[in-house]
Amino acid sequence: MTAAAESLVAAFRPGRAEPAWLGEGRAAALGAFRALGIPTTRQEDWRFTSLAPLAAVAFAPAPEAGGPAASLLAGAPPPAGARLVFENGRFRRDLSTGAPLPRGAVLASLAEALRHAPEAVRPHLGRLARPDGLAFTAANAALLEDGAFLLLPRGVEVEAPVELVFLSGAPGSPVAVHPRVLVVAEAGARVTLAETYRGTGDVYLVNAVTELVLGEGAVVEHLKLQEDGTRAFHVSTVFAEQAAGARLSAHSIALGGQVARGEVRARLAGEEGAVDVSGLYMADGSRVTDAFSWVEHAVPRCTTREAYKGILDGHGRGVFSGRIKVMPGAQKTAAYQQSSNLLLSEDAVVDAKPQLEIFADDVKCGHGGTVGQLDEGALFYLRSRGVPEAEARSLLIWAFAAEMVERIGPESLRARARTLVAARLPAGGRILEAA
Amino acid sequence: MTTKADTMLRIKGLRAVVGEQEILKGVDLEIGAGEVHAIMGPNGSGKSTLAGVLAGRDAYVVTGGEVAYEGQDLLALAPEARAAAGVFLGFQYPVEIPGVANLYFLRTALNAVRRARGEEELDAMDFLAVAKERMKLVEIDPAFGSRSVNEGFSGGEKKRNEIFQMAVLEPKLGILDEIDSGLDIDALRVVARGVNALRRPDRALLLVTHYKRLLEHVRPDRVHVMAGGRIVRSGGAELADELEQTGYAWVADMPPEVPRPVGALS
Repeated sequence: MTAAAESLVAAFRPGRAEPAWLGEGRAAALGAFRALGIPTTRQEDWRFTSLAPLAAVAFAPAPEAGGPAASLLAGAPPPAGARLVFENGRFRRDLSTGAPLPRGAVLASLAEALRHAPEAVRPHLGRLARPDGLAFTAANAALLEDGAFLLLPRGVEVEAPVELVFLSGAPGSPVAVHPRVLVVAEAGARVTLAETYRGTGDVYLVNAVTELVLGEGAVVEHLKLQEDGTRAFHVSTVFAEQAAGARLSAHSIALGGQVARGEVRARLAGEEGAVDVSGLYMADGSRVTDAFSWVEHAVPRCTTREAYKGILDGHGRGVFSGRIKVMPGAQKTAAYQQSSNLLLSEDAVVDAKPQLEIFADDVKCGHGGTVGQLDEGALFYLRSRGVPEAEARSLLIWAFAAEMVERIGPESLRARARTLVAARLPAGGRILEAA
Repeated sequence: MTTKADTMLRIKGLRAVVGEQEILKGVDLEIGAGEVHAIMGPNGSGKSTLAGVLAGRDAYVVTGGEVAYEGQDLLALAPEARAAAGVFLGFQYPVEIPGVANLYFLRTALNAVRRARGEEELDAMDFLAVAKERMKLVEIDPAFGSRSVNEGFSGGEKKRNEIFQMAVLEPKLGILDEIDSGLDIDALRVVARGVNALRRPDRALLLVTHYKRLLEHVRPDRVHVMAGGRIVRSGGAELADELEQTGYAWVADMPPEVPRPVGALS
């Protein structure tokens, strides 16, 4: 076993004061993780993303106190709605902000929900995030401590976005945290949920799992703003299941981590469902960022629109894998995926792997991909008008990226993403000023 | 060659290559402040290359000669520094830049130029006032300011946009590379009217064109004929008329056409 796998197995604590079904689930998941270990590039789904640097690290559970939350949160604008803050995976009520929710809606830390209303959690927790074959999901299921539980009964609409902020990292031994988010949006419910990941400059592992259950006609916008530290390992997976007519948008901005992997695994289980999977990823230095998605069309007349953009600089590496599977009988499926990548240096690399697996005959499916450099003609045009080279480059990179930033609905998060993306451009400050 | 006191641009023995191919083979040219010069010549004669070299396009490598602009070595300056110093190139094929709004781009450019000149930057409101006024010059719809730079513009719109940009940036030396190509007669009139409105005693214009058509609307002080990478004849506006009559075939010692290098302007 690798050092990382050994340390995660060693972190397992049997006999917690919790419902028996949860303990049994943990034990089974631990068994699965033990058998799987940390994935290697010999596995097809990890072919382009080496976890060797992660595998070599022995992770420790996060210390109870002295975390980075207060300092990492400093200066953040107040949220428009509820904001739950987690420090190294644990809920920090003192740093969180409540907000009134419509009658019947429940927003709680997962640990609290498991303490006070385990029967509300039980039918859904781990139902989509099966540990079979997925090492990180298994580790999360075995080791999860906290996270968020959001339950929206039939027809309930939450106006303001619900924010979950995960602040991680600690000096000393590298810590591993395994947040779990469970959202149950019953028929006709609507919500925007934003997960932000931010961290210290220490080595740490965030292994997050989110489960989104969408009832008939539910509408969920899920946003992920990943700005973990440059030495962090970030692996997160969003599982979703959509009943008839449900609409999901899963959008991410992935900026941090020495190795960062964001997965979306969605299943369209009812007719007329639609999923948008999109995101922007950036990597420089020798960082690796991996956007992985798997959408399954189980029934007819559903739609997938997938669009990712990557910006790679230095020795940075980007990976896009998009898999869309159209099951037998899922006629009238419309599915399209697009990945566009901008390479800013000679040594930057992108691997794009679009996969369409179609077992129905009356479908419209396609994919497209581009890998390119900044347009020298456009660069000269801008410079000939007096725009300095660094600013001209920034302007063109911004033009490429902006669409993905502007897709973020909530204003405060969009502004944050703008600032973070601009900060990674040579003259980004000027671009923001002029915008 | 004697230099006039008010010479703005002085080109001496300019040679340039693209890849292995020598395109400019010793160009001499002087332009005084307030003058309008036209360079005419057949395709491949090097006239667009000359325009590109003056603006600092890096596909061209200067192998000899010198270019003095207001007494300073123009070739030593980066393209953006040339713009700040007052040089403007109107492109034969203006570049489309998806995602960058026209006015946003132009304000960025104007403020970069103003910064370089030690002038105060214009805020969005002041800039908009300037832009709206200059749009009228080339009959541009204000709605076009929020469209992406040149994206989906017709040929005429692109050329009008070039003149509009020149009007906002207020260069001292405007080099217009085939600003007349691809224009119908109405669009040509609009563009020519814009160019004429921008003639000033302290501003020089260099028009690069294949046809005399533009010169009927914008009367040049001097006309130069380029062939085989050199200026082979110079004269007054009447030289353009003569070319119209005879075509370019008469040009003495005219070498075969220079093949177009990849990435060159013409």
